Amino acid sequence: MTRPATLTVNGEARPLTPGLTLHALLRELNVNPSRVAVGVNDDVYPGARAPHRTLEAGDVIEIVRIIGGG
Amino acid sequence: MAPDAFTLGGRTFTSRLMTGTGKFTDFGVMREALAASGSQIVTVAIRRVELRAPGHDGLLDALDWDALQLLPNTAGCRTAEEALRVARLARVATGVNWIKLEVIPDARYLLPDPVGTLRAAEGLAADGFTVLPYVQADAVLARALEEAGCAAVMPLASPIGSGRGLRSPELLRTVLDGARVPIVVDAGLGVPSDATQALELGADAVLVNTAIAEARDPVGMAHAFALGVQAGRAAFLAGRMPERAHASPSSPTGGVVRLPDPEVPV
Repeated sequence: MTRPATLTVNGEARPLTPGLTLHALLRELNVNPSRVAVGVNDDVYPGARAPHRTLEAGDVIEIVRIIGGG
Repeated sequence: MAPDAFTLGGRTFTSRLMTGTGKFTDFGVMREALAASGSQIVTVAIRRVELRAPGHDGLLDALDWDALQLLPNTAGCRTAEEALRVARLARVATGVNWIKLEVIPDARYLLPDPVGTLRAAEGLAADGFTVLPYVQADAVLARALEEAGCAAVMPLASPIGSGRGLRSPELLRTVLDGARVPIVVDAGLGVPSDATQALELGADAVLVNTAIAEARDPVGMAHAFALGVQAGRAAFLAGRMPERAHASPSSPTGGVVRLPDPEVPV
């Protein structure tokens, strides 16, 4: 059985287009890259400097921002 | 006279009131309240971007971070692993390596996990973070966190957002006794006198959010907390009188005017 080509983005499964990069994913999601941070598995990147890293099936991606809190 | 300052993570602060940015109705009120508080250290949280309605709330743009020390927290993290991940995301999101470490598996009382907190603190300190762990008032744990390289220890007064004030001053005293890093009382303070009490006991600072944000007048309450903290610190420096079991007259006991002895009825 082949593994389904999906990513997990902020807790939700998402189909993976072959060759998709992190940079392209942010653009696809229409996320303003400034003021966000992105995690790909154990690596973290400032959103504004999201690399052209090719994403792979099973990657776990977190896109976060700062909000009010104590 | 040198200003009464304290040093945290290599920076010097004169305000002993730290303020959170949660629960404010709008940025305008929050900005005014923060100004009235005089706080120099301000906490924020990290959350997932809502992908169906992308954007961000602009908190980072709403405040002058050249003048304020930004302190992201790991609120919402239930394990050491989650806290490590959120701390690293916070660092790249803000460019700040300070982190208020929260590892809280329990949703009802929001009580911190001491084992997970210590484990995460060790990892974060080794990774170059300025770590401020949120814990229960436990002296043994506080010493272990100091050993792990934490910049401060933040014992709770009472459960987060409860406004119940300092419920275990005796335990706080044991944390303060011999502490080698600043002790910041965090969570549960409801009114300025709660903050005063913490500072009177010798806490270096307090962190307040809900008590200010949920006050009828948040700006007025922020100002009141600033005064409460100043009063408590001044009292600590002045040194309190000893407590006594019985009364001790304030006026001289000699030379008291006496009326003639009342007649004893036959």
